[in-house]
This record gives sequence, structure tokens and C-alpha cells, in this order.
Amino acid sequence: MAFSLFGIIAVVLEFLRPLLPLIIALLAADIVITGWLWASKRRSWQRGRHAALWLGGLVAALAFFLAPWLTSASFSDFSGVLDWGSVLAGSITAGLLAALLSWPLTTLAFGKRSGA
Amino acid sequence: MSDHDPGRHASTQVDDGRRRLLKAIGLGSGLAVVSGGALLSTPAQALRTSARIVIVGAGAAGVAAANRLARALDGARITIIDSRQRHLYQPGLTLVATGIWKPSKVIDSNARYLPRSIDWLQDSVAEFDPEASRVLTASGRSVDYDYLLVTTGLKVDYDAVAGMHPDLIGREGIACVYDTPEHAERSWSMIDEYVGSGGVGLFTRGPGGIKCAGAPLKVAMLTEDLARERGSRQSLQMVYNSPGDGLFSQPDMDQFLKREFPDRGIRINWHHRLIGIEPELRRASFATPEGTQRIDYDFIHVVPPMRAPDALARSPLAWQDGPFAADGDWLEVDQFSMQHRRYPNVFGAGDCVGTPIGKTAASVKAQVPVAVNNLIDALRDREMKASYNGYTSCPLITGRGRGILVEFDYALNMVPSFPFINPYREHWVPWVMKDRMLLPAYNAMLRGRI
Ligand SMILES: Cc1cc2nc3c(=O)[nH]c(=O)nc-3n(C[C@H](O)[C@H](O)[C@H](O)COP(=O)(O)OP(=O)(O)OC[C@H]3O[C@@H](n4cnc5c(N)ncnc54)[C@H](O)[C@@H]3O)c2cc1C
Repeated sequence: MAFSLFGIIAVVLEFLRPLLPLIIALLAADIVITGWLWASKRRSWQRGRHAALWLGGLVAALAFFLAPWLTSASFSDFSGVLDWGSVLAGSITAGLLAALLSWPLTTLAFGKRSGA
Repeated sequence: MSDHDPGRHASTQVDDGRRRLLKAIGLGSGLAVVSGGALLSTPAQALRTSARIVIVGAGAAGVAAANRLARALDGARITIIDSRQRHLYQPGLTLVATGIWKPSKVIDSNARYLPRSIDWLQDSVAEFDPEASRVLTASGRSVDYDYLLVTTGLKVDYDAVAGMHPDLIGREGIACVYDTPEHAERSWSMIDEYVGSGGVGLFTRGPGGIKCAGAPLKVAMLTEDLARERGSRQSLQMVYNSPGDGLFSQPDMDQFLKREFPDRGIRINWHHRLIGIEPELRRASFATPEGTQRIDYDFIHVVPPMRAPDALARSPLAWQDGPFAADGDWLEVDQFSMQHRRYPNVFGAGDCVGTPIGKTAASVKAQVPVAVNNLIDALRDREMKASYNGYTSCPLITGRGRGILVEFDYALNMVPSFPFINPYREHWVPWVMKDRMLLPAYNAMLRGRI
């Protein structure tokens, strides 16, 4: 049974529905901080990126190792490329999202230019 | 007495001006916007009509159809009739009965999903009168319709098993995953106890069309898996009693299960149809080709036969003869168009219809758009083009953490939605789908989005 693009979006939105207030709050905070950082020019995005990538890596590793536990399963239930590929792709996606969403925050926290 | 204005005749007129305008600005197939957590779509092709449409049953099929009709029609008077306020996510009952989910996870409310533009009559239909295009409710109201959509689901026929009553679920080793979260929760207490104490466990399955034919199999496999995990497997003698000579209608899966069950030490009794239980004695009676056989048990999973709800079963809308009448007096529809074969202004979807396969939420997802689109075509006096191919699906959970995603059609051919998921092999991904993704997908279906 084929799923249309709108269909997939609808399922993802239903999946995220309980988390939507949190996601919206996080995005709003990101937008406000990004605006302030662009305007003030007193922070280095590059330094922030470094910390965000570390955080993303940590989230990806945690997602990978915790995926079986989070789904009431264990690694012994995994079989073949489908399962290992899915857990890898899922963890990398989670890591990238964490890095992206935290970038403005890490720039704010760690990106102070020397002398600024 | 009629609750609807008899002077309101069904007049249909496509709102062409609006459709052209929307097409011109590129919204022909519906606009999706994310707004405050809701996915909204503009009824780009809303059909202006004053037709009276009655939907009987606000389960998976009824609610999904109500949302689709409310969006597709402009001016129609849509009434849904169901006395039930809560909405049950039934595919989750297997997980509740095996201790994986809490019952609260499968309980929702219909009010959250029904569109505001329709009337919800909180009553139940006691009589269908298709000759007069009217239904009569239990409280004595008469509701006229131009088009009727029957989505009553089915009735679990406990009376067909002598000595069985739903109140027994959760006592004397009796479990039954079907019907309600309360039954599933009480079943879990029986399974939990059985896995701890051991003994003879009988797993049964009613003959004929039952909803989610995979559920009795999943309960057996999840119980076995739990016993293995708890280290008590040796003390359990598990016996699966099939009323016929197969375990599953799809032949590849049937073969798989016929190997899997013996491999896991689950004995299979063929041609064993449960006809009675004696709860105090913990004894079950089975009709077999050799006559009635009585088997003592410590635990039994009772799966009674299923049939159309009484009001539908005894109405002219039910199959009057043939296999679908004999099996459960199911609603007589054309298996492709979902239109009634004798009453052209009646359509059906969901567990109540008499089609060769189905009776899953996955079938509902495929049937509802067909029934709704064909109803709208009938309203427009156009040829009905939508066709249901028998699609049904079952994430066959073989143990906690793994399963097989089985999807097939009327021809019993596998029709995988995701070509990268092998429908012949156990994986973790189908388990994640069952545990995490099917509830959101079901809710999206209720809202008429998929
Ligand atoms: C244990 C279990 C496991 C399952 N697992 C899966 C699975 O893994 N995958 C899957 O796809 N499907 C599964 N299903 C099947 C799926 O849940 C059903 O096929 C689906 O819910 C059917 O929807 P429906 O709308 O036809 O019926 P229902 O959702 O049962 O709704 C019928 C509605 O009609 C109402 N009604 C009945 N009679 C009347 C009347 N006379 N007047 C007014 N209203 C009336 C009822 O109150 C009810 O609200 C499972 C079901 C069970 C029980």
C-alpha cells in the first residue's frame, strides 16, 4: 500500500504530536538566539559548531546503544542490513538534529570571541 | 418520526468556481499546513450537496469516513450514530494482554477525532430499513438518509462457546485478547500467572472471519517468548488448537508458522474448534472430526467466533445466503467497490463487511477511501472507479522485539508497502513499527489523512 508524501508527513506529525509544544519551544528559542547572535556579531559560530558536533555525536551514540532498550527489545533481536542500517540511520539523524538544534545554544554558551 | 428534514432532497452541484480558483493557485490536490499541531488540508474539490449521509458506527472505519466525507462535501448533512464515547485502538490490545503496554495507551475519545461539522447521535441502531432508507435507533428515533455507510464492526460471539462469559476473563486461567482493554488487562494477569506457574496452556481460535487473525498467534508466541525470557519455558506445555488445517490465510506465512510453532515447542492440534469450557474444572471441549474431545488446562486463551452485530445480522442488509451469511451474517457488499450489492445507496467498510479477507485496521485504511470515493461518485451520478484490492496487513509479532511485516491482497500475494522490508524474515524494524509507529498511523487514518 503506497503512502503519499502528505500521508508520511501526517504520520510523522501524529508521532510527534505529544512532543510538539517542546519542539516548537525549542525552535522558537533557536530563532530568537540566532537573531540575537547575527545582530550582535560577538560570538563565533565556528566555536559553537564544534561543541554542537560533540553533542550531536553523543546523542547519536546514545541513540544507537539505547535504541533496543527504548523499544523493549535487545540487540539479539536485530538481524540483517535492515535492522542495523535502520538503527544507524536513525541514530545519525537524531545526532544531526541534536547538533543543528543545539548550534545556536552552544554558540551562545561557548562561542565568545576572544577580546569580545 | 424523522429527525431529519424530509424536505431536504439530495441535490448535488460541484463547486466548480472554487475548484478552478484553487487549481489556479496550485492547490488542486489539497494543501497541507502545519498549524498548532494540526495538519489541515483545504477541501480543494468540495462537492456542494444537501445529501443526508448516515454513518452507523464510530470505530476506526466510521471516524475515518466521517473526516473524509466532511472534507470532501460542502453542505451535506452527515450524521454518525454510535453510543460509544471512548475510542479504542484495538491493534494495541495484543500488547496490553502480554504486559508490554498499559491499557491507558489504547483508550482515546471519539470526540477528539470527529469533525465538528457533523452530527453525532449518541445512540445505537436497532433496526436497518433499507427499503425506506431509514434506520431506527435503540431510543426509538428514526433517521432518514440518502446514503448510508455501515461501519458497525463486529460482535465477539462469546455465547457460541458453551460456558463462556466475558466476566470469566481474568479468572480460572481464562484469557481473551479481544474486545476491550479491560479484557486484555485481565488476560495479562492470567498469562503472567501461567508463565510463573506452568502447566497446560491451550490457545484457541474461532473459525471463519475473525478480526486480526494474527492476534491469537501473536498471543501464543509472545507468551512462549516471555516464558523463555523468565526461564520457565520447560514448565509450560503449550498447545495451539486450530479449527481447520491452517494457521494463517497467506500461504507463505502459513508455511512459516507451521515450522515455527513446532520449533518453539508449541504443539498444534488441527481441526480443533473450541465449543465449550467448564471454568471450575478447567476443562475445554473441542469439536474434532473424531467427535468431541475434552482437554484439561491450566490456562486457556479463548477466541470465540465473530459475527456481524445483531442489528445488522438480522437486517436485509446482511448476506442472505452463501458463505458470508453462514459465517457471520456479514454486510453484503461488492468486494471491490464496497457498495451494497442490492441497495445502491448503501456502502460499507471495516470489520462488518463480508469480503474474502480483511478485518484489520490496515484493511480499514484501504477500504474507507474506496467506500467514500465511490459514495461521492454515486452522489454525482458518475461511474464509480475506486476499487479495493483486498489489502490487509499484520505485523506478525513473533517475540518481544521482533516480527514480520505481512501485507497481502485478495490473491494472497504479498504486497509490501516498503520494498526494503523482507516479508519473509523476522526483523526488529516491524516490531518498532508495531510498538511505535502504528498508533500514529492509525490516528492519521482516523483524521482521514492517510
Ligand atoms: C486484539 C486485536 C489485535 C488487532 N491487531 C491488529 C493489527 O495488528 N493490525 C491491524 O491492522 N488490525 C488489527 N486489529 C483489527 C482492527 O483493530 C479492526 O479491524 C478495526 O478496529 C476495525 O474497525 P471498525 O471500524 O470496522 O470496527 P470498530 O473499530 O470495532 O468500531 C465499530 C463501532 O461500531 C459501533 N457499533 C456497533 N454496532 C452498532 C450499532 N448497531 N449502532 C451504532 N453503532 C454500532 C461500535 O460501538 C463501535 O464503536 C486488531 C484487533 C484486535 C481486537
